[in-house]
Amino acid sequence: MPIEIPKDKWAGSIKAITIGATSAEGGTRAKAVTVGGGTTMPYLQFEAPTPNKPVIAIEIKSRKPEDWSPLLAEVWGEAMADSAQWAKKAEEAGADLIVLALTVEDNPEDAVKAVKSVLGATGLPLIVWGPGQAEKDNELLVPISEATKGERLVLGICEDKNYRTIVATAMANGHLVQARAPMDVNLSKQLNILISDMGMPKDRILMDPTTGALGYGMEYGYSVMERLRLAALQGDAMTQFPMIVTPGFEAWKTKEAKVGEGVPQAWGDWKARAINWETLTAIALIESGADVVVLRHPESVKRIKEAIEELITA
Amino acid sequence: MEHLITFTTPDQNSISVKSQTGMLLSDAAHLAGIDIGQPCGGQGRCGRCAVQVTDGTVRRRSALRLSPADIEQGFALACQTVVEDDVSIYVPPQEKIERRLTTDRVVAEVTVPADYDYLSDQTVRRIHLELTPPSMDDQTDDWSRLQTALRLQHRLENVTCSLPLLQKIGAALREGEWQVTAIVDLANVLQSGESDRPVWLIDLQPGHVDEYSSLWGTAIDIGTTTVSLWMVNLVTGEVKAQAAEYNGQIARGEDVISRIVYAGKGNGREDLRQRVLDTMNVLLEIACKRVKAKPEDIVKATIAGNSTMMHLLLGIPAENIRLSPFITGVNHLPVMTAREVGLSANPEASVDCLPGVASYVGADITAGVLSAGVDSAEETTLFLDVGTNGEIVLGDRDWLVTCACSAGPAFEGAGVVNGMRATTGAIEEVWINSETFEPTYRVIGGGKPKGICGSGLISLLSEAFITGILDKRGNVNLMATSSRVREGAHGGEYVVAWGAESESGEDIVLSRVDVDNLLRAKAAIYAGFTVLAETVGISLEAVSKVLVGGSFGKYINVEKAVQIGLLPDMDWSRFEFLGNTSVKGAYLALLDWQKRERITEIAKRMTYIELSADNTFYEAFTSALFLPHTDLSKFPSVESALQKN
Repeated sequence: MPIEIPKDKWAGSIKAITIGATSAEGGTRAKAVTVGGGTTMPYLQFEAPTPNKPVIAIEIKSRKPEDWSPLLAEVWGEAMADSAQWAKKAEEAGADLIVLALTVEDNPEDAVKAVKSVLGATGLPLIVWGPGQAEKDNELLVPISEATKGERLVLGICEDKNYRTIVATAMANGHLVQARAPMDVNLSKQLNILISDMGMPKDRILMDPTTGALGYGMEYGYSVMERLRLAALQGDAMTQFPMIVTPGFEAWKTKEAKVGEGVPQAWGDWKARAINWETLTAIALIESGADVVVLRHPESVKRIKEAIEELITA
Repeated sequence: MEHLITFTTPDQNSISVKSQTGMLLSDAAHLAGIDIGQPCGGQGRCGRCAVQVTDGTVRRRSALRLSPADIEQGFALACQTVVEDDVSIYVPPQEKIERRLTTDRVVAEVTVPADYDYLSDQTVRRIHLELTPPSMDDQTDDWSRLQTALRLQHRLENVTCSLPLLQKIGAALREGEWQVTAIVDLANVLQSGESDRPVWLIDLQPGHVDEYSSLWGTAIDIGTTTVSLWMVNLVTGEVKAQAAEYNGQIARGEDVISRIVYAGKGNGREDLRQRVLDTMNVLLEIACKRVKAKPEDIVKATIAGNSTMMHLLLGIPAENIRLSPFITGVNHLPVMTAREVGLSANPEASVDCLPGVASYVGADITAGVLSAGVDSAEETTLFLDVGTNGEIVLGDRDWLVTCACSAGPAFEGAGVVNGMRATTGAIEEVWINSETFEPTYRVIGGGKPKGICGSGLISLLSEAFITGILDKRGNVNLMATSSRVREGAHGGEYVVAWGAESESGEDIVLSRVDVDNLLRAKAAIYAGFTVLAETVGISLEAVSKVLVGGSFGKYINVEKAVQIGLLPDMDWSRFEFLGNTSVKGAYLALLDWQKRERITEIAKRMTYIELSADNTFYEAFTSALFLPHTDLSKFPSVESALQKN
């Protein structure tokens, strides 16, 4: 006797959002990337196919980071000192998107130059993060936004205390924004409301619910993402944005990934452990509905790509 | 088409102007040289520009703030009404408009309960005694002689007193030549109905003092932030003086938790006890002066306050209030004397501390439930007491559930840069012009502003939000073009009054930090309310009355409180503002022993819901931490107000 699998019918769906613009669309990207569009809980292919696969962004910096794990320095090598080269290597490593993270040492001219050189070095769509200090973010992101009008970059990171300037410049120059709230459904929703209240079109917001690494609060982030997705499917318009999360950043700051010496022997091989940490964090978040994961190690990128294929074809 | 508009001012001057069809009455008035105040900038929000159409017809684009009866009488908002005909307009005096508008800002006056009968309700009585002078034939001791007189002349069989009073008795008897006036507390006898219960002798005065001359008692509410005191003539029941002051303990912590922590360190407990006593004694002195009485004339005190305040007043260790499972030292206290407690009153005065329910639902709430009448309500009633802690009671005459949430002192004007208590000099209401961002405010007492009280803060927060100075998260919009919106020491701020207008000469501002404090306060209260309703499975619509107590200020504007999401968005007629319900409950208990008994019953009947038991409260809190709320559909009237702007 055939068993009928019960199917949920939802009132809402995740918005499909396109990052990057090709020359036909007013930009210079080789191709644009579309994420979101889901109409069910993640990967329930029997209810509805997944319209857009989750994508991987590789994080690079405008200046060589001194505090990154030696394992990352080892794999990226000299490219870390030159963001254009680094971006090119990231594309080779299989990235769908590039995240360029600026630093506090950058001045507006440097920052614009770095963005332009990355755009020149790769055809991938680009996400640009300020250094994470409100004033500095605004100082750097505004000229970048103006200098790249029409590229459909993602500018970030908007938080509830600092979003106006970034949103205003993104709106004026045809870019998207990344809206980060600290692991809380209500706070995510509130920031999305604030950004929408400014008149930002709803197809230009990515929400970043914040996450933690495996063993460092990931399960909390997981459940917040799951609840955001449920709220979105139930028809809450202010939670229907695709999600971007940063498992690379989170995993690589854990002691387990960062430190190779003076740790218990039972922890095993450092490199394998570190990459596993990033991979396991990322895949769990993808399963809870992440649309963009930002990673750091090329090996993790490779593994996550395979995992995504399995999820889609399963 | 051209029409003739005739304006008549309060001084009976008539001025006519011509205007085209469709012209606003406010513009026509301007042409006529008549100044009609428009604090909200002609948005139809404030109702201050109401005029009366005495002849002809007009078209009202909006009549928000006008009742059907107002419209019936021809009232129209000048900024929202257009000319379609020749019309005659009466411009009422501004005071009249203000008075008309106070209907939505009701505050209860203190009235003596209609059925108050000193001789049957009051436990403290003044009685005359005539003793047989001693002689060689009658060598009975003074105390026995007095007891005999009390028994024979007043059937008081079991009178006791303190040693200090015993030390005075002989002199009083002789000075009055064996005619004396005794002040006794009959609470035990009245409550039990048995005449052999102990009667407390409070004072013995020589001679016969007029039995119906003033006999003073006091009702006190010890709030975490504010101490309020009423001075009451127990014979007539009248409140003859009121006084309030910030609790002296504030210097040692703004909320109950930090006070409990402080009390646990070194001499902290005694320091806090002394601090609140100092505040109470200063208030007693002020109140005594006002009624021309001496502290010794006060013979009874009834005290309400939250459980922590009660413990700290009495020097009872309070640390378990803070620690799970959150237990008080004592909920039902015995009657004590002013000497034991340390009050500046007659040392033998009865001090009755009202009973609480739990660590975070104290005597302020049991007293509040009594004075608000929740325990006898026929329909489901919600009672909110907004203080440093927000306590909420839901129920009717058959059931009562309660919970408490920490709101912080913002609505009492504390913990806010330019906050102050609702006294002379406090800005109590604010309107902001949505185009120029210029404010119009009203100051209690009418003089120069010194600061902003709770009701002023509610109204300011709401106006700043509705006009777009604040976003829904409370961030100051620095892109707003006004010199009043500026970068302050702690982020953006809005200048309500320039230094030139203020009492201190310094700008009065609403800072980012203030906004955060206010948001947290209102979110805690709204969240407590939603969680409590959910716990008992009741929806908003089922609540037929919302009674709000607290010392925000004289007036609370319901519309403003709804706009910031402090109160649920429902028909305004369902709200009633009662002022300080705790001190009022203490007053009722001070007067009438049956009402005092009722408070004990209320304390026993209330079911306490612990909000920290799971995360539903936190969830409700973060969603309320927004203007007015993350879920705007819960606030349809605010949604439409925002759309209008």
